[in-house]
Amino acid sequence: MSGSSVPAGGRSEVRPGRSLGAAALIGVALMAAVDEIVFHQLLGWHHFYDRSTPAIGLLTDGLLHTAELLGLVIGFVWWADLRRGRALSAAHAWAGLFLGLGGFQLFDGLIDHKVLRVHQVRYDIPDLLPYDLAWNGAGLMLLAIGAVLAVRARRSVGRER
Amino acid sequence: MHHEHGPALDVGPPLAGACALLAVAVYLVAARRLRSRGDAWPWRRDACFAAGGAALFVAVAGPLPGGAFTVHMAQHLLAGMVAPLLLVLARPLTLALRVLRPGRPRRALLAAAHWRVSGWLLFPPVAAVLDMGGLWVLYRTPLLAAAHDRPVLNALVHVHVVAAGVLFTAAICQLDPVRRRWGLPLRGATLLAAGAAHAVLAKTLYALPPPGTAFAPGDLHVAAQLMYYGGDLVEVALAVVIAVQWYAAAGRRRRTPRTLMGASHIP
Repeated sequence: MSGSSVPAGGRSEVRPGRSLGAAALIGVALMAAVDEIVFHQLLGWHHFYDRSTPAIGLLTDGLLHTAELLGLVIGFVWWADLRRGRALSAAHAWAGLFLGLGGFQLFDGLIDHKVLRVHQVRYDIPDLLPYDLAWNGAGLMLLAIGAVLAVRARRSVGRER
Repeated sequence: MHHEHGPALDVGPPLAGACALLAVAVYLVAARRLRSRGDAWPWRRDACFAAGGAALFVAVAGPLPGGAFTVHMAQHLLAGMVAPLLLVLARPLTLALRVLRPGRPRRALLAAAHWRVSGWLLFPPVAAVLDMGGLWVLYRTPLLAAAHDRPVLNALVHVHVVAAGVLFTAAICQLDPVRRRWGLPLRGATLLAAGAAHAVLAKTLYALPPPGTAFAPGDLHVAAQLMYYGGDLVEVALAVVIAVQWYAAAGRRRRTPRTLMGASHIP
């Protein structure tokens, strides 16, 4: 064992920021997977490709979709590395997970659906507004849960110190 | 798949299938020889190579379900992405260099691996352009329609798909000893760009068939989604290969004193 190579600090080497970041990546990718599996494949609400999708929307969508996939792998391996080094703060990780879930949901609802117009929540209905509100409301709620958890995680760390 | 062609084309698939099986046989014999002289060679590599050969065989000779374009896409997914990943994971070059005795074949192989041109081809962005660029040319120019009734061109297209797939996978995974290895950020960024190019092409195929072809819309839709989600799976697998390398390297850094960190590890 080479204790000298470990940075000074000993046991209190927990990394709250990294714990939050790794879990947030997993959260983003999980929500993207739920979106793909539930709304694209099971319910068939979303369209795989909306013919009105502009080229920039298509390109951004391709990049984001690939980034989500890579994010899932990076998030998990990062999380595993933190665990291995006993640097994982569970409270921050939970906060990050919800921030990631909500962040993706809201990003998808506002940027993908409205700004880039990749596709819409649903097509066979007269009024899209309730669906958009529910979609983005759910995103906001997840973000709020994540924010509350993050504040509590920070307080608990403060108390320990 | 049945074509209205003469016997000239029908030689292709059996020949390619036989080559795949022959390659597997050679690999297994080589690995066996290595083990019989006492060297360690993990069995999972044999399994990977055999599975890769099987994927190639199914792509060229196996009956695949679906419409004409869906079958074509399944073949490309197997031959251009799945098989290359499995073959590269088996580290065939490492095996060959270890099993060959000093002599002309081994020197030639080593020279090819360290050749300047191989180095350029295995530069991840170059490999990605050859692979993804080839796909864009195939589906967005009249090449696919032209290859349909020209057996030689058709064979060349398929050879390119397999070769470019192997090149890209090898450049991303970097498991075999070649002229130069590239860092994780460059390989990760290349994977991201290539994955995006693949996803965008798949989405456009959903709405717009390759020029000069007339596939049924349903066939086109299934094929485009197969390309999109199938590509995702292989992409995640490639990302896992890179991630595992990072995880192992981070573990080694944690265990070894800092003075030894520069020492490279060749698996």
